[in-house]
Amino acid sequence: MSTENLLIPLMIIIPITCALFLNLLHEKSRVVKIISVIVALLLPTIPLLANYGIQYFGGYAPLAQNPTIATGLPTFITGTALNIFHPAITYVFGSAQKLMITILGFVALFAIFISLYEVKKPSGVYIYLILMGVASVMAMLLSDDIFNLYVFFEIAALTQVGIVLVSKVKNNYETALKYLIVGSIASPMLLLGIALLLGVTGNVNITDIVYSIKTGLVDPHSPVLLMACSLIVFGWLYAAGLPPFHTIKSAMYSKALPTGAAVLQAFSVFTFVALGVIIIRIFSYLHFAEIFILGISLIAMVLGITMAITQTDFKRLIAFLAVGELGYIGVGFGLGTVFGITAGLFQAVNEAVITALLFIGFGTIMYKTKETELKKLGGMLVETPKSALLVLLAGLAMAGVPPFNAFQSKLMLVQSSLNSGLPEVAIIMVLLSIVTFMTFMRAFHTIYLRPKPADLVIENENIPKVTIVAMVCLLIICLVFGLYPQLATNYLQGLAMGIA
Amino acid sequence: MIMDTQLASLLTAGALIVIGIFGTLFLDNLIKKVISLAFIGDGANLFLIAMGYKAGGIVYIFLPGMSMSEFSQNAAYPLPFALVLTSIVIGASTMAVMLGLIIVLNKKYGSLSASKILGDN
Repeated sequence: MSTENLLIPLMIIIPITCALFLNLLHEKSRVVKIISVIVALLLPTIPLLANYGIQYFGGYAPLAQNPTIATGLPTFITGTALNIFHPAITYVFGSAQKLMITILGFVALFAIFISLYEVKKPSGVYIYLILMGVASVMAMLLSDDIFNLYVFFEIAALTQVGIVLVSKVKNNYETALKYLIVGSIASPMLLLGIALLLGVTGNVNITDIVYSIKTGLVDPHSPVLLMACSLIVFGWLYAAGLPPFHTIKSAMYSKALPTGAAVLQAFSVFTFVALGVIIIRIFSYLHFAEIFILGISLIAMVLGITMAITQTDFKRLIAFLAVGELGYIGVGFGLGTVFGITAGLFQAVNEAVITALLFIGFGTIMYKTKETELKKLGGMLVETPKSALLVLLAGLAMAGVPPFNAFQSKLMLVQSSLNSGLPEVAIIMVLLSIVTFMTFMRAFHTIYLRPKPADLVIENENIPKVTIVAMVCLLIICLVFGLYPQLATNYLQGLAMGIA
Repeated sequence: MIMDTQLASLLTAGALIVIGIFGTLFLDNLIKKVISLAFIGDGANLFLIAMGYKAGGIVYIFLPGMSMSEFSQNAAYPLPFALVLTSIVIGASTMAVMLGLIIVLNKKYGSLSASKILGDN
């Protein structure tokens, strides 16, 4: 890895700077549109162009790599582990980060384009919130500093609330306040976990914390570390929307605009990965941590997918399916093997794309009818044939039907659980995939195939071409990763090998 | 000194967090809930500050006339203080958004009761 690559901080700096600028320009729709298009195009482009590397903010590399500063310092600094500790906030950009940040960039790109072209007067505030959220989640994926990660975790939570607030969906304020209240309990718990880690290891750099624990500088079985583990896991459950936070998370998705919901679920998926990877890196020596991740992921799958069956609002239905699909990622992490973690990371990338496609696809129904209640809908196949086909293919992809990407990742997860001697986990995953398929097909039949209810008002306005193009592009990503899974797994394997 | 300063700070932080959680769970008034949440946040911040406490320590500023060894042996660990500053700013922003939302919801419902406003959503 090269140690200096200016494109790494630019992945965060450009969206944040432009977001703040757009916020000031929200009345000037033409300028907002031009800047938004440029920044949206840069979101996936910068990570694609960036070389792998490490960014030390302020240029402060560890003393061992910085002889000009190390010379002249007393030996009680240079002669100890302090010599290799990281004095600066460190961002690490490896192959896995490259793939995940690029995918997040693509989801944000399509969400921004659709939101710009679906409304006559684009809102700078909405684009500001999307960009701030994207920058925060990208920083969480890059950061090797757990406090820096906490700061962006909080910013991401606030932007998610903002995305829900601007949606003008009924009762969005109530849901946003509830999410903030729950978050205001979960965030200090995460901060306490970080404080305990700092108290025990004297560090907030994750690599240094791992070094301190693995080399015995601190007692790995100290009760303080166990407490820190449970507090950080609590913060992770909230950020990812795992039980007991699955209902509030799915409510957040359902109160956002379709493009907002698409980026919100991508935020949840990649926050899940960012914090999950840290938990595995630091606490992998605690066997019960992996068992807990596996257990909570299975509960998330069962609760998410079974609660989706009972929903009468299609946005809420997709939201619960999205929460259920998060469980598959956790199963991969919980298995703890290189193959299992690779499968989990691959599932994360796939889910971000598929669920974004589903939210955008079902968003076309809202665009035409302003309706989300399943019982009030019907006959939409005639009205929106192209998007109906794309939504059907997205639903098949989510259920794990070949040749789409989730088939490959779910197959890897099943193989991984069988290899780990857990056939019951494999059976649960296969059964829940079937339930996902049935739940999706029920919604699809109700919305598109049954006769149109007499009182359903359908607007004459055509679905913008950009929406269809965005859906086709997302579907192409699904197909490419489904037909050539090694394109993704080769990128993700390095990270899995590093943490397993 | 009756009790060690660090221990007293940690106990106070624990008490603030417990009171905050109790208030958030059991008080119905939204403003009181927000105050309870502030207790939790302040407790976490105090806990973080206590991590950087050093008995008999000095502020982490290298003053003229100070020797390197005197400074390195006595200076308190500065990282927790820097982190707490950031944490306070984040807490203030979150609270501002929450209070703004409560103002809007109070106008809509004419009440500050959490069970009335958040109950059915």
